[in-house]
Amino acid sequence: MNKKKIYSAWFLVPTLVIFTGLFILPMVTSLFFSLTVWDLKNFTFVGLENFKMFFSEGSLNIGIRNTLLYAVIGCSLKVTAGFLIAVFLTSNIRTKNILRSVIFFPNLVSTIAVGITFKALMHPTKGLINSALGAVGLRGADWLGNARTALFSVLSVEAWKGVGVATVIFIAGMQAIDKTYYEAASIDGADGWQKLKNITLPLCRPAMNSVILLAFIGGMRSFDLIWSMTGGGPGFATDVLASVIYKQYAEGFYGLSTAGNVIMFILIAFIAFPLQKFLMKGEVD
Amino acid sequence: MKNRKRLCLLGDIVGMLAAGIIFIIPFLFIFLNSLKGRREANLLDLSLPSVWEWGNYKAVFEANNHIILTAFKNSFLITLGAIILLISFSSMSGYVLQRRKDRLTRAVNVMIMTGLMIPPAILPTIWIMKGIHIYKTLAGIILIEVALQTPFTIMLFRGFMGSIPTELEEAGVIDGCSPFSLFRQVIFPLLKPVTSTVVILNSVTIFNDFMNPLYFMPGSKNATVQLTLYNFMGQYSSSYNLLFADVMTITVPMLILFIIFNKKIVDGMVAGAVKG
Amino acid sequence: MNWKKNGAAALAAVMALTGTAAMTGSGILAEASDGGTAGQEWEYKEDTITMLIDTDTSMAGIQAVCDLAEEKLGITVEIETRVGGPDGRNIVKTRLASGDMADLCGFNSGCLLKELNPSEYFIDLSEEEWAKKLDDTFKDAVTVDGAVYGIPLTATSAGLVLYNKDIYREYNLEVPKTWEDFMANCRTLKDAGETALIGSFGTMWTAQVPYLGDNYNVLSQEPDFAQDFENGSAKYATTPAALRSFEKLAETNEYYNEDYLATTYDDGCDMLVNGEGAHWIILSQALSNIYEIYGDEVNKIGAFAVPGDDANDNGLTVWMPGAWYGNKNSEHIDTIKRFMEFYISEEAIHAYSEAILPEGPYAIKGMELPDNVYGAVKDMQKYYEEGKVGTAMEFQCAVKGANCGAICQECVSGQTDGKTAAQKYDDDCRKQAMQLGIDWE
Repeated sequence: MNKKKIYSAWFLVPTLVIFTGLFILPMVTSLFFSLTVWDLKNFTFVGLENFKMFFSEGSLNIGIRNTLLYAVIGCSLKVTAGFLIAVFLTSNIRTKNILRSVIFFPNLVSTIAVGITFKALMHPTKGLINSALGAVGLRGADWLGNARTALFSVLSVEAWKGVGVATVIFIAGMQAIDKTYYEAASIDGADGWQKLKNITLPLCRPAMNSVILLAFIGGMRSFDLIWSMTGGGPGFATDVLASVIYKQYAEGFYGLSTAGNVIMFILIAFIAFPLQKFLMKGEVD
Repeated sequence: MKNRKRLCLLGDIVGMLAAGIIFIIPFLFIFLNSLKGRREANLLDLSLPSVWEWGNYKAVFEANNHIILTAFKNSFLITLGAIILLISFSSMSGYVLQRRKDRLTRAVNVMIMTGLMIPPAILPTIWIMKGIHIYKTLAGIILIEVALQTPFTIMLFRGFMGSIPTELEEAGVIDGCSPFSLFRQVIFPLLKPVTSTVVILNSVTIFNDFMNPLYFMPGSKNATVQLTLYNFMGQYSSSYNLLFADVMTITVPMLILFIIFNKKIVDGMVAGAVKG
Repeated sequence: MNWKKNGAAALAAVMALTGTAAMTGSGILAEASDGGTAGQEWEYKEDTITMLIDTDTSMAGIQAVCDLAEEKLGITVEIETRVGGPDGRNIVKTRLASGDMADLCGFNSGCLLKELNPSEYFIDLSEEEWAKKLDDTFKDAVTVDGAVYGIPLTATSAGLVLYNKDIYREYNLEVPKTWEDFMANCRTLKDAGETALIGSFGTMWTAQVPYLGDNYNVLSQEPDFAQDFENGSAKYATTPAALRSFEKLAETNEYYNEDYLATTYDDGCDMLVNGEGAHWIILSQALSNIYEIYGDEVNKIGAFAVPGDDANDNGLTVWMPGAWYGNKNSEHIDTIKRFMEFYISEEAIHAYSEAILPEGPYAIKGMELPDNVYGAVKDMQKYYEEGKVGTAMEFQCAVKGANCGAICQECVSGQTDGKTAAQKYDDDCRKQAMQLGIDWE
């Protein structure tokens, strides 16, 4: 059987045309345009000036710091909460199917809608969150207005929206674990905690890796939620790379915006690829 | 044993309570406030409306010359168009990439991996789209969505192909099928389970996409559902009743879909995520 | 919506377009009325044009003129709205670039217009007879490389402090002459448990107004600052008079309402008129937004210029109105021009003022303010009479930092002090200069 003939390279052509034309080609040309001042028609070559500006100016480089914070914290929140909820939902409780659906549903709602809703819930004086806290005698905070808490407030909503996917992935991982392990452990007299630590956790490793990678890469690229909740503010306190890129685009600084894009590629490539390698290696061991 | 049962019941109660507070209240909040008058809604509380203002929904539909209808139409067309292309092209690619292992497919696989992680380069993309006159067109945004969802979709198809034995193709070759009709008549029908996953995952992603239409399809006639919602946010910053009516209008279709296809959606997502 | 429009007041506005206070000393001011255009005959020809306008501009006046144009000229206008601020600017830019602009584009005048590359997109009006009616300062603000592109969308407005007179009476306060007095008033109010200053920084552009509205005070001490800043020889951070604007901005931080970062521009209107806050540093166009909803209650509001450090030399910073620009690539150029000519006719301005009173002098020669203007506008007129008015920085200098709003929001919320904010703004402008191709090194 002639593999080359049956599995003809022609099958790849439509995909390759679209993917190369609208993804790979822009990516390659971005390396050039990031070195220019550009208005989509004419460009002036300025060398590394855009990058220098990106790293030296506070309103731009805060995006790099916040992106990393957002990805790392968002990822940890989802992994931890997702795992615990999954453990809870694989126990013998009766409402687990309803609960699973309820937790999962926010994933289907548009991020902008979620952002609008939580912006209202987090309103410093009228918002439901602060009213509820006030009712039990606690003093709320200006969740989105305080520069120190704003990013974390958005992160909590990110976790709220994303924990459903993490949970169902963990559930799938846990259900795939052979029941005999638990039975054997019970005979040996292991308690629930030991079973969780020595059986569930290590055998969930593939599911955990998926969650980590998904959440991390998603976090690095996040834009919609931040943009709809704070627009990067107050000031620049919640700007991430994607929002900085958008702002420069909106102002017509196309070269600068593209430089931000290139920084984002590099950051993801230098963190996500090694991270993936590392996780996969752990899986084989 | 009795103790365990009690513990489970406690778990049920705590779980439902927590889910109620954390997940149900926000939706209840949107719903109730979407039916209040402006002043009442701007208090942002959870009370029942004193008058149920169903007219808010009418106002949302009529706002800016019924833009929301255009938006639904556009979002629907984009989703549909992109999914049809994705299924046709990515299934073929996934098939070849799984079956054939040589330098070409290795190179394509590397490209696909890159596409999974790296975000698109916005402005050069706009530049290219302008060059071939598809910037700000439905066709353009459909192709963009196809390009950006291709890596993930191919992964799903490629993964699923692994479970289909090659004997079928061998038999087909002996029967004298051409490579294309072999794929179309023998292989493609077998991909049905993964195809439904692809449809579900991509329709949610593309329908809810905000960033790509924002960049690649600006302009009033090109409204999509998410862009309209975002513009409403600026416009109705002090009319929460209308804003929430809009949020509801956009969320309800998803809710209905979810109630009908609940299990399929969740399973599809899990399958997609784990393999991806 | 609570529409308490007062019919009598509106009617009075129509009749009141005759002479009021003579205002001299500024280029914006009305010159002697030539009165020749009243009762002009208009050609009737049916056509439909579209217009794009931001949602912060109050629509009642524009709507009134459009209705009249339909009746008299046969021109049907389809109004389409967009958000204001940087998002709105982006919408305008992308729609222009992609050839999707409405026939009439409502947009800022001044340096923001220059960024749009108007010669490529907008109709040059400099040959039109009626364009001679445009006030000279306004004309400068819509002229790029010798071509005139726009007609005024509204009357001029000012960046100033609006205050609630009831609260002033209740606490026996006097209108402050200096910044120190102003802060003392705020302190008194704060100690009494009132909200001394309304912050509406949920709408980001409003955070710039305290800084931008201080421009008169800056230029009265450093008359050359605008030019020096444009050519790169002066900086905010190193020019004490200019740095003061940012320092003052930072000083206001402690007096705002608790939810000042979530409160929007529209909320601010409600708060001021309802006495939930004593002062609001904002553009005088807010008066029209308040009038639209609260009618005559708008007269509860008084105004004074952003105070400076010198009681004897304090003046008002004035904004030229935004403008209508005609889409050069439209198929309705004749209709656009007919509409524009009509829009600045006395007849149309009457109709406009019937719906919404002007929030400052008109930018049309020969048009004078009606007698029944908002109380706050009467307060503004004093500055015009004394000649103590100047335009905002964006009408005197080609460079405006793109992140001005965010930098001011950061400063006003106490994240940065005045000095840091000034430095950040200088950096931001340097970025702009580089993109505009101005050499600043």
